[in-house]
Amino acid sequence: MPTINEKLTEEIRTQAKALLADGTVAAVIGYSRGSLPMTVKPTVVRASEDCGKLVWNSFCVLNLANYLPEVLKSVEPPRGPRDPKPEGPLAKVAVLATGCWSRNIVVQTQEHQVDRDRVVVLGVASRGMVSRRKVEEQFAGREILAVEEFDHDLVIKGADFEEKINRWSVVRDNCQTCTRPDPVLVDVRIGEPASERKNPNPFQQVDKIEEKSSDERWAWFTSEFSTCIRCYACRNACPLCYCPTCFVDDAKPQWVGKSLDAVDTGLFHLLRAYHCAGRCTDCGACESVCPMGINMRMLTKKLNKDVLNLYGMEAGMQPASPLPLTTYATDDPQKFIVTEAKAVKEGE
Amino acid sequence: MKVFRLSQTELDNMVQGWSQNRRVYRPAAGRQQSTHADCAPGWERVAASTPLTLPPGPSKTSVKTFLFPQPETMQTYTLKSSDPDKGLMKEPQKATEKQIIVGLRPCDARSVKLNNLPFQEDPFYQVNLARTVMVGFTCSAMCATCFCDQMGGSPMGTEGLDIAISQVDGSFIAEVLTPVGEELTAEIRLTPAEDSEINALAERRKNSPQADFAKLDVLKGRDLNTLYKAALWQTLGESCINCGACTFNCPTCYCFDVQDEVVRGQGRRIRYWDSCMFPLYSLHTTGHNPRGQKMQRTRNRFMHKLKYFPERYGLFSCVGCGRCVKDCPVNIDIREVMSDLLAVE
Amino acid sequence: MSKTNKTSETNMTSETNETDTWEPKIIAFLCTWCSYAGADLAGVSRFQYPPNIRIVKVPCSGRVSENMILSALKSGADGILVSGCHPGDCHFISGNMFARRRSPLLGNLLEFVGIEPGRVSFSWVSASEGEQFAEIVKTVTERVKALGPATRLIKKIDQAA
Repeated sequence: MPTINEKLTEEIRTQAKALLADGTVAAVIGYSRGSLPMTVKPTVVRASEDCGKLVWNSFCVLNLANYLPEVLKSVEPPRGPRDPKPEGPLAKVAVLATGCWSRNIVVQTQEHQVDRDRVVVLGVASRGMVSRRKVEEQFAGREILAVEEFDHDLVIKGADFEEKINRWSVVRDNCQTCTRPDPVLVDVRIGEPASERKNPNPFQQVDKIEEKSSDERWAWFTSEFSTCIRCYACRNACPLCYCPTCFVDDAKPQWVGKSLDAVDTGLFHLLRAYHCAGRCTDCGACESVCPMGINMRMLTKKLNKDVLNLYGMEAGMQPASPLPLTTYATDDPQKFIVTEAKAVKEGE
Repeated sequence: MKVFRLSQTELDNMVQGWSQNRRVYRPAAGRQQSTHADCAPGWERVAASTPLTLPPGPSKTSVKTFLFPQPETMQTYTLKSSDPDKGLMKEPQKATEKQIIVGLRPCDARSVKLNNLPFQEDPFYQVNLARTVMVGFTCSAMCATCFCDQMGGSPMGTEGLDIAISQVDGSFIAEVLTPVGEELTAEIRLTPAEDSEINALAERRKNSPQADFAKLDVLKGRDLNTLYKAALWQTLGESCINCGACTFNCPTCYCFDVQDEVVRGQGRRIRYWDSCMFPLYSLHTTGHNPRGQKMQRTRNRFMHKLKYFPERYGLFSCVGCGRCVKDCPVNIDIREVMSDLLAVE
Repeated sequence: MSKTNKTSETNMTSETNETDTWEPKIIAFLCTWCSYAGADLAGVSRFQYPPNIRIVKVPCSGRVSENMILSALKSGADGILVSGCHPGDCHFISGNMFARRRSPLLGNLLEFVGIEPGRVSFSWVSASEGEQFAEIVKTVTERVKALGPATRLIKKIDQAA
């Protein structure tokens, strides 16, 4: 009997093939098999006969919305920067999307990075992606040579061992706390829709850090980010980071130094997270791709919590309204605003 | 050459003995950084309590973090008008005391030799190299991501090491290869290895995968332009996200940029790691970028390692440690790139 | 300048007095239309306020990005004050409203990573509120003084290499 993911893979291949064959789309963004256990390759398929390489499994940790603006551009007829937009409709691109990725496509649409009419969303309900790091930590010191996936278990194989582990126990933190596994945009449905998951407090990890004292939080921050090598994998894996020139590359003024100085590294992560405020869907790509295993997701999660509590908004859930930081209300919170000046005076 | 046999305790005692009056570094046991500020990510100062056991495969970050540190301060200066030396660029006092790197693998040791080619006349690299003692651990087996044999190395190789330590049935055989290594081992009373043990090690070395670059050497003869124009780059560039995970953890990537940092009137000129994956890397002052597209940048990394570098120095700029294979967020596997390149006609 | 005078008086006694004579440095980003004019008025009207602020004139409080605030912290500022027009009075209609929207996110994030509450403040001062400006600067200065010198997120350039 085929597993859930095998069925989904089959369906993805069929749908992609049909879309490419009848010319609905010029390209499909999906995943193909990786060369190592627990890896997959983000792949752009442009011919219907290549659809056989598409796969779907629990290791699709990268957010495919990240590729969308560039692939959309690649299917347009080539033109110079000053040439007018070509007449008539432009070619479309299909992209696989789970709950969080589809919300990123909403954000990209709101920010005019993506033309929604040119995107065909192949909506897949996410069952939670597995954290390769969690598995490797569990098997520390032993080399994993193959991983076989079943619906609820993973079988981890090495040269001299074979162990079955529960799949959910190694699912990424962001997927474990996720409440919306089902895509918010669906043009072509892959598999069954999923219902909203109940989670009394998706911000538990953030709360734990907030409970600490200021000194403890500083200690956590400095140690967590101390191993950063500034490779910017977190930034580049993020579908929100599309600035042609990142603030870290500004030399005059130099907002952030480029070495491994602890302050510069800290500032880079703070600013990167802050730039995602109100836009981050907690897809976890940043954390998943970090070669050093840094949990930088805590910063964006904290911002997500504040945006939800202060402005009642979640990225990608209100496609019709502006993004939280591109609008304002007359009764916005004044927490950091010094207004007691008069009171001080009256007290004297 | 002196060869010694050590137990785990003797090995730990030896290393900890060195750390009494020297800086001794080892691959970090945990994920988080040790408390020593002078230590690069992925490494830690040898502490009294942690036994020196290493997981299979190379360390998380490569040995280049010691020889080509991120950053290297090249010059310092002050801009304070009260200082008579205002605006004078000064060369900082370089640390010259020995540092011992314990636990690097033969692939990393080989990378030092490769990086030495472009850095031959680089004073900063040479100063760091001169003060670094390398105590390597040979590999009893190759990991799935390792391909050092294809790149001209070998898991039991000793090239570039001062002392090579091999694990044999629960104990360790230390081969002292250089005068610096002899100096270090002379301080301690060690048991010389018996002939049978030396022979067993030689036998194992003979049976381990040997350097074999016959297959890849074909690339050296191929036409550069044909490889440059190959169709595979387009596919590769499309999935690459242009981060620096591969280049920064690569032991043989040595590109850098230079920048000035000034804070409160104190300044320094540093050189820090740069990556050909970044758009800024090749950006001209005019605004023109000869490698403006993602694909061009991805291509450059592989072409440099497999074509440009060999054209200039005769050797591939890769030691087959497999870090880029492991760390790549989108699973770009240099071994696949190599076989795809070999297939280009 | 008062700092130099005090130090020269006390440096004969003991070096531990360094902390007693410490005066915070506060970077104040003031919008050119309201708060800067308010600061001007405070000066013209001779309202006394602590000399701890270093003013950076900006076109609008909405222009003050997180890059600037963190840059100031990195350069060793003990406190930051961002001040703009009162809500509804912005010369660019709503720049200050956006600034207000962003303020708790950045403030909370900084507290989240262990920056003491009170290092970064925002305020509204109109061109006619010279006295209020002086009061706000007093409040902010006292608050930063109570926190002591900033020690976190400050970049140091090691001259030794």
